[in-house]
Amino acid sequence: MARSSTAKDAQALIQSLRSAYAATPTNLKIIDLYIIFAVSTALIQVVYMALVGSFPFNSFLSGVLSCVGTAVLAVCLRIQVNKENKEFKDLPPERAFADFVLCNLVLHLVIMNFLG
Amino acid sequence: MRNLKLFQLSLIFFSSIPLLPILTLAFSAENPTDRRILVLLDDVSLKSSHSIFFSSLQSRGFDLDFKLADDPKLTLQRYGQYLYDGLILFAPTTERFGGSLDLAAVLSFVDSGHDVIVAADSNASDLIRNIAAECGADFDEDPSAVVIDHTSYAVSDTEGDHTLIVSDELIQSDVILGKEKIEAPILFKGIGHSLNPENNLVLKVLSASSTAYSANPNSKLSTPPSLSGSAISLVSVLQARNNARVLISGSLELFSNRLLRAGVQRAGHSKKFDKSGNERFVVEVSKWVFHERGHLKAVNVRHHKVGESDEPAIYRINDDLEYFVEIYEWSGTQWEPYVANDVQVQFYMMSPYVLKTLSTNEKGLYHTSFKVPDVYGVFQFKIEYQRLGYTSLSLSKQIPVRPFRHNEYERFITTAFPYYGASFSTMLGFFIFSIVYLYSK
Amino acid sequence: MAAPETSPTPSSLRNAFGHVFSFFILILIGVLAFSIRLFSVIKYESVIHEFDPYFNYRVTQFLTKNGIYDFWNWFDDRTWYPLGRVIGGTVYPGLTLTAGTLWWLLNSLNIPLSVETVCVFTAPIFSAFASWATYLLTKEVKGAGAGLTAAALLAMVPSYISRSVAGSYDNEAVAIFALIFTFYLYIKTLNTGSLFYATLNSIAYFYMVCSWGGYTFIINLIPMHVLLCIVTGRYSSRLYIAYAPLVVLGTLLAALVPVVGFNAVMTSEHFASFLVFIIIHVVALVYYIKGILSPRMFKVAVMLVLSVGLVICCTVVAVLIALVASSPTKGWSGRSLSLLDPTYASKYIPIIASVSEHQPPTWPSYFMDLNILAFLVPAGIVACFLPLSDASSFVILYIVTSVYFSGVMVRLMLVLAPAACIMSGIALSGAFDVLTRSLKFQLPGTSEIFASDAVDTGSESVILNKDGAKEDKSEDSVKERPSKKSKKKEKEKEKEKEKEKEKEKENAGTLSSRSHAGTSSRRPLVLPVEASVIAIFLLVLLVAFYVVHCVWAAAEAYSAPSIVLTSQSPDGLHVFDDFREAYAWLSHNTDVDDKVASWWDYGYQTTAMANRTVIVDNNTWNNTHIATVGTAMSSPEKAAWEIFNSLDVKYVLVVFGGLVGYPSDDINKFLWMVRIGGGVFPHIKEPDYLRDGQYRIDSQATPTMLNCLMYKLSYYRFVETDGKGFDRVRRTEIGKKYFKLTHFEEVFTTHHWMVRIYKLKSPRNRIRGKTKKSKSKSSSTISSKSSRTRKKNPWN
Repeated sequence: MARSSTAKDAQALIQSLRSAYAATPTNLKIIDLYIIFAVSTALIQVVYMALVGSFPFNSFLSGVLSCVGTAVLAVCLRIQVNKENKEFKDLPPERAFADFVLCNLVLHLVIMNFLG
Repeated sequence: MRNLKLFQLSLIFFSSIPLLPILTLAFSAENPTDRRILVLLDDVSLKSSHSIFFSSLQSRGFDLDFKLADDPKLTLQRYGQYLYDGLILFAPTTERFGGSLDLAAVLSFVDSGHDVIVAADSNASDLIRNIAAECGADFDEDPSAVVIDHTSYAVSDTEGDHTLIVSDELIQSDVILGKEKIEAPILFKGIGHSLNPENNLVLKVLSASSTAYSANPNSKLSTPPSLSGSAISLVSVLQARNNARVLISGSLELFSNRLLRAGVQRAGHSKKFDKSGNERFVVEVSKWVFHERGHLKAVNVRHHKVGESDEPAIYRINDDLEYFVEIYEWSGTQWEPYVANDVQVQFYMMSPYVLKTLSTNEKGLYHTSFKVPDVYGVFQFKIEYQRLGYTSLSLSKQIPVRPFRHNEYERFITTAFPYYGASFSTMLGFFIFSIVYLYSK
Repeated sequence: MAAPETSPTPSSLRNAFGHVFSFFILILIGVLAFSIRLFSVIKYESVIHEFDPYFNYRVTQFLTKNGIYDFWNWFDDRTWYPLGRVIGGTVYPGLTLTAGTLWWLLNSLNIPLSVETVCVFTAPIFSAFASWATYLLTKEVKGAGAGLTAAALLAMVPSYISRSVAGSYDNEAVAIFALIFTFYLYIKTLNTGSLFYATLNSIAYFYMVCSWGGYTFIINLIPMHVLLCIVTGRYSSRLYIAYAPLVVLGTLLAALVPVVGFNAVMTSEHFASFLVFIIIHVVALVYYIKGILSPRMFKVAVMLVLSVGLVICCTVVAVLIALVASSPTKGWSGRSLSLLDPTYASKYIPIIASVSEHQPPTWPSYFMDLNILAFLVPAGIVACFLPLSDASSFVILYIVTSVYFSGVMVRLMLVLAPAACIMSGIALSGAFDVLTRSLKFQLPGTSEIFASDAVDTGSESVILNKDGAKEDKSEDSVKERPSKKSKKKEKEKEKEKEKEKEKEKENAGTLSSRSHAGTSSRRPLVLPVEASVIAIFLLVLLVAFYVVHCVWAAAEAYSAPSIVLTSQSPDGLHVFDDFREAYAWLSHNTDVDDKVASWWDYGYQTTAMANRTVIVDNNTWNNTHIATVGTAMSSPEKAAWEIFNSLDVKYVLVVFGGLVGYPSDDINKFLWMVRIGGGVFPHIKEPDYLRDGQYRIDSQATPTMLNCLMYKLSYYRFVETDGKGFDRVRRTEIGKKYFKLTHFEEVFTTHHWMVRIYKLKSPRNRIRGKTKKSKSKSSSTISSKSSRTRKKNPWN
């Protein structure tokens, strides 16, 4: 009885999650896709590291952190351009994107430095 | 006033001119054999009674300057320069030298790298004993004691008191005594001394046989002799840390024409030698003392990386390097290649990290190559070569070893390729994302 | 300052006026911060101070001569002989690079300054920057008025002056600026939620990591604040933007600094930030889902996620703990551990405990270093709670943690100082705000001005305060010459201050409640005119007293370079320049490759000033090596000679203050040598050097003490100075007066005997036999006899 109710709850939850998510605008969906891509790359690398060991530790670190960093920055961008978010009303999305690009450039510069 | 000063200056200048050619002959690294030797005698007759020894020195090119030990004008140095390269003290009974010479002067003569032959005799003076003691040889404290040996004495016409003893217990060293073995035993008449066994600078060259003892021959032995057996050293040499050499003999007669010429027969042995071993012995030993043998020099220390020829200021860990050194021995007239297979070099930092035996090309050049250890720090190339009779070689050359530079580490490691790929793919993803995002509106 | 740009014209004009005014005040504060630190140059000369700055100076010289790549790869073979030290990988390069860049910039502008000059003035310049950063930070927290007050206070705070006078060329000089600036950018990001500031924040953090090991304070304080915000339900997406990019970018950037390297992810100091990083993601996700779901569905989701998430969290925590526990020190470095457990260092690491600046501070030092700030801080904390914002909660957290840390280590007083300045700035500005407003409100004809907003009055009131302070300062500095007078004055003021204190406290209490009431009702309660006039007068007096104290501290207490000492005596000023005399002797009279052994305190100076190779120096990275030197110093002569000879040491340098009464000499440090030496070589036992637990060098001292090398080298021939051998530091006659050195010979002793240099004798050329010399009676040891019987040096 309890199990079936939780299963039903879960189902309802997923249903409502899906419907709620369907309402998000396209540009946010693009960002979500990008985040998923970055996170999955990071996960693959962690699994790979667990397999072959952590010898070129700096490469591993830069590889994983570049993915994590990308994801984090994308989340930040998503937060800022989200129209429902009241906190960033006075921040134009263009400005947000410019900041995002700057931040990414710094990130990738550091990654390149640290990789070898 | 000024004129006076000028005059003094010119005086010094002119008086130094005749010194110049002498100075060039002085003891030097390039020419270690002594040339000018001061011989101090306490009796002029010694000059003739020991003439064989002296003439052998003169025939080898030495310039002997005979002086009486109490000559009031005696001096070893003038204007801070030593006038002599060697000193022969055949003055066993002199209580004090004339002129400015004293114990301290003799010792500083040794400490500045010059060579001395000291001969004592029965009732040797305190001065001579002190000189010997400063060099590490302690003569028997009883002033009337001589070395007596009732089994190993020289057979003579008259039954003596067995103070002219016979010994062939020589040091086993080709360097000190020459390549040819001295067959005939050596006659000795004088006092014995002992060496501190912990003192590694002095060597017994001629020691007494196990039946010898040191006592006054004219009195009955009341107490056991303080020196006995093969602990008695008859002739010793000192090679100081600065390679100055000192010969200490308990007998002046050892060098005399009488003993050099005498035939010898040891008591209890039937074989009779026509001539004692004394002449060979004193000549060979004097050659060693005056650096005609056993003097090594190491020059031209070089090292460089394999495949290069310039000496770097610093090595990196795991570099391969080559090390060269040339070692020569002085033959009395010229430098000759020194050949040995036991010269070792250490690559040293607090403890030797690398210890390699050098291989030689028989022409004096020694060489080896090795890999710098995987440790950084300030290293030294060290050669510590101490062999019996030879001057000690101790070279050290400092060289720092540094770790890898930041750009010398391995790059593009294959195991790391996925990480590279991930980083670049995120960068690529960033570009694509930017474009898609910007044009999606 | 961009906030009220679109307000009506008269107000905006007033604002513009205020901005210009505060800009000028800021410049003045900068000049003040710079010039108050020049006492050391005026009173002494333009030299580098103390010990560590000499190393930094030497590194900077190398950098300017050889360029950055060689600096990066520098392997220094002149220290830690024979181990050497990889400077590029073990030094915090921030300071060096800063000064090097400054020098390069000036030279390319055709301003030919020597490297030394640039190094001397780096610290004052950066203290001006630091006060500007304080202004920015406080402005973010409580507005421009508080900002200006805090900046002015920081420009003069004695604790910071002590580390940044001209010539004190140390990491802290730039690190405090970096610290404050990083905090400012963090608050700024938190307030705006802009990625741009987040990027700047991580770059500022990078600069901090480059400059000082104290960066761990930042990387622990910020996560703590984030956690605090989350726990108190103040999570916002701005918090996420401020924190998450900082962790990722900051970690990467920190890992770029060679001295930190993988420590940025491997040591426990940084784990807190990662943990909070995970937590903030979870929280962000929860908030996001909460936002898009209906409340009912959200409850269901929470149920589900909680049950799953708990399990995952537990495993992660378990793995982390296992990882940390596997390392012996639990991944913490010794210095950090001694921060958390104050007794750790004295128990396990004598080398850390031996440094005086790692000791806990005494109470007077709080008053000395912070002065009135110590009493204004509570008022500031109260003011921060009204109203509590993200920024003010951060400042509160900052002051609380830094108070704790400063209580553990004197050195970290420096971290406390900016926090105290900010708090006091807030408090003072708040008090002036209320008082002047009540004045203004009650004066006739000014009531309409009351319409202007709080920031404005705040800044104005500060201007008032500042001007008063300035005047007072100039007056006092003129009057101050006769020091006795000023001391008397100080005492009086101290008494006054006590009274004021109480009043001030009351004031703070009342005004805070009042301002609270004001914000709620928009009409602040008004104090009677007389009361506010008196209160303002007292506050100005208080601030004046602070200024007087700061100037005194800067001029007298903290500007001594310690390389040159002076003493005031009835017959005039004495200058002790023995250190430089000794180092100059070394550099002129010894061979370039000679090795000089001394206790590690003097290592940096020896390499920098004498350019000689040293065995150990102030970078105490190899405990064994230091213990070796400590053992040599506490061994008898022969054993010490053997230790030193094995290290190729040619000269031994000891610092001896017994003649002139210089207390921080080697005899006073000697017990640490014994302890550190004994920690590695157990045959050195501390009780052997103590008589009944007392450290003494008089006739009661133990034989071990009287025969150890340090005693002998310090007191050799000492009795010849006054015939009694009276040590002015220990205030006693020394125990053993007449003795000879057998294995060392004195080669140089400076004018006041403060530095004595000995040379190791080379081994004897000949080994003597046992002579029966009638003249010398005793025949104890061979060696001692030989030096007695002959005047001439027998050693070749």
